[in-house]
Amino acid sequence: MSLNPLGAWELPEELRMLQENVARFMKTDVKRVDDQLPHDAISAPKHLLEPLQAKAKEMGLWSLKSPQEYGGAGLSTLAVCVVTEEAAKCRMGAYVPACGAFGADPPVVIFNGTRDQIERYAIPAIKHAHRTFFAVSEPSGGSDPARAIRTRAEKRGDRYILNGSKFWISHAEGAEWGIVFARTGALGDRGGISCFIVDKTMKGITTKVIPVIRALAPYEVTFTDVEVPAENMLGEEGKGFSVANALLVAQRMPYAAGTIGIAQAALEIAIDWAKNRETFGSRLADKQAIQWMIADSEMELRAARLLTYAAAWKADLGHDAKIDASIAKVMATETAGRVLDRCIQILGGMGVTHEMPLERWYRELRIKRIGEGPSEVHRMVVARHLLGAGPRKPKADA
Amino acid sequence: MKILVAVKRVVDKDIKIRVKPDQSGVDLANVKMSMNPFDEIAVEEALRLREKGQATEVIAVSIGPAQAAETIRTALAMGADRGILVKSDTALEPLAVAKILKAIVDQEQPGLVILGKQAIDDDSNQTGQMLAALTGWPQGTFASKLTLEGSDVVVTREVDGGLQTVKLRGPAIVTTDLRLNEPRYASLPNIMKAKKKPIDEKTPDAYGVDVTPRLEVLKTIEPSSRQAGIKVGSVTELVGKLKEAGVI
Repeated sequence: MSLNPLGAWELPEELRMLQENVARFMKTDVKRVDDQLPHDAISAPKHLLEPLQAKAKEMGLWSLKSPQEYGGAGLSTLAVCVVTEEAAKCRMGAYVPACGAFGADPPVVIFNGTRDQIERYAIPAIKHAHRTFFAVSEPSGGSDPARAIRTRAEKRGDRYILNGSKFWISHAEGAEWGIVFARTGALGDRGGISCFIVDKTMKGITTKVIPVIRALAPYEVTFTDVEVPAENMLGEEGKGFSVANALLVAQRMPYAAGTIGIAQAALEIAIDWAKNRETFGSRLADKQAIQWMIADSEMELRAARLLTYAAAWKADLGHDAKIDASIAKVMATETAGRVLDRCIQILGGMGVTHEMPLERWYRELRIKRIGEGPSEVHRMVVARHLLGAGPRKPKADA
Repeated sequence: MKILVAVKRVVDKDIKIRVKPDQSGVDLANVKMSMNPFDEIAVEEALRLREKGQATEVIAVSIGPAQAAETIRTALAMGADRGILVKSDTALEPLAVAKILKAIVDQEQPGLVILGKQAIDDDSNQTGQMLAALTGWPQGTFASKLTLEGSDVVVTREVDGGLQTVKLRGPAIVTTDLRLNEPRYASLPNIMKAKKKPIDEKTPDAYGVDVTPRLEVLKTIEPSSRQAGIKVGSVTELVGKLKEAGVI
């Protein structure tokens, strides 16, 4: 057997083609829309969005992560990463890729639901780009849900009664439906969590906006005696997390890829600026301090991208990519934050005006180190893997 | 009816090109390459004719280095049916390309050949016309509109000062101008299908064409940079400056 070293460290040809296509779509069609919107816009108006969505559908890029059989694009995790990286390169790209051209994926855990749940909820959501939400976190915390979840679901006949509240829930306002994790067992027991689909027809759900550093604000969602039919339970009672785990791991790679795309776009802006801006008799690009910022940014972004691709590739092969996903998530989001900081420094005052997308991206990237699991939790995951230790259990006789 | 479309691999239109330090040509190392934009328009037009049922097969031909296969693959992903790659590492001049295309035309017997009016790298704007001369077929160059009427090809040409419409008796050669159409994005399913579509690999020798250059490039240089202008504060100052410069 001969070892062929060629072709091992590059994307397959079809993914490169897809990448070029999306890059071009962003630079032409999406840019035309993006240029007309205010700095902090979180959606494009219907008359601008619909033509974009029609083009995206023709490209076969609609609901990227959702399976083809339900009307999605059915992309592999690696392909989603490639598309998401490019699609992030617009003002609202950190949270609304390509200004919303590719529709919206419902929370992926729905695809572990029953045929009936998928038909009633997932398929219409994909078709009409419905707003949907995914609610785990509570005022008591989000990173350690087994401990923190207090929202209760009491079984009463053929339904469950939900009481409690969820925090930091994006897209909750105006959502058609959402996924809610609630406690059906004892407090503190990971096995006591179940997963439910709630929809807007159910009474007792209220939302309240939580203003934050980014324009797309999350919500507090409160459940007061919300009656959820038993057939809306996703998975089995007490096994709420088992429907979520592998699917949630695979979310982290595209999350990472989006931040890399934004940082790369920021770096392009900074490079362009450095080549044109003159101070003290020469271009910024001729000054070593600036050159190093640019070189470091490129080096770090390439490293983060390869880690993200590697994690996605591993997940696509069906291997456990949990550690790889954590590594990629931390590396990409922290790198992107650093790169944005440098880019703003290169642009100086211009970097923080609303003329440029940089300051918006800077704010949004700050959240990316917290959302989808904060850096520290992912570091903990990696450390536990290396050290072979879980959380220390209290002694039974203590 | 078959349609033959010629596609060239060129430096991407968004790349700012750099001249090699020894002035022997443009530096192509680590530079993004894409399909010549006028050729994309040619592929799009051929696909539209096929979709209208006026053509049965679209064949994409590229002549160039092995990597030109990627350019053909792009055409296949847009929807072309098959490709022909004529591999050559020599810098090819329009006459050599036209002769190879003539040999392919003899073999494939297309009813229509569509080419970009020029490639954005050397801007020659010769291949289509030379191919018309070699085949003895009529040509409609700089097309901004193309319709088939039976075996006739009606081409609206963008000429200086307006539009000229010509009717060609097919088979014919058409070269595309910018406004002919807006090329589509390759769809994901078509990108996947493109992998399985056949690309026939050939060499200029197989067609008996000698591609030895007839021209010698003496040197390639960057355009001289423009001098920075000045800003004036008022019309009076502007008029003063213009008088100073002796233009009014």
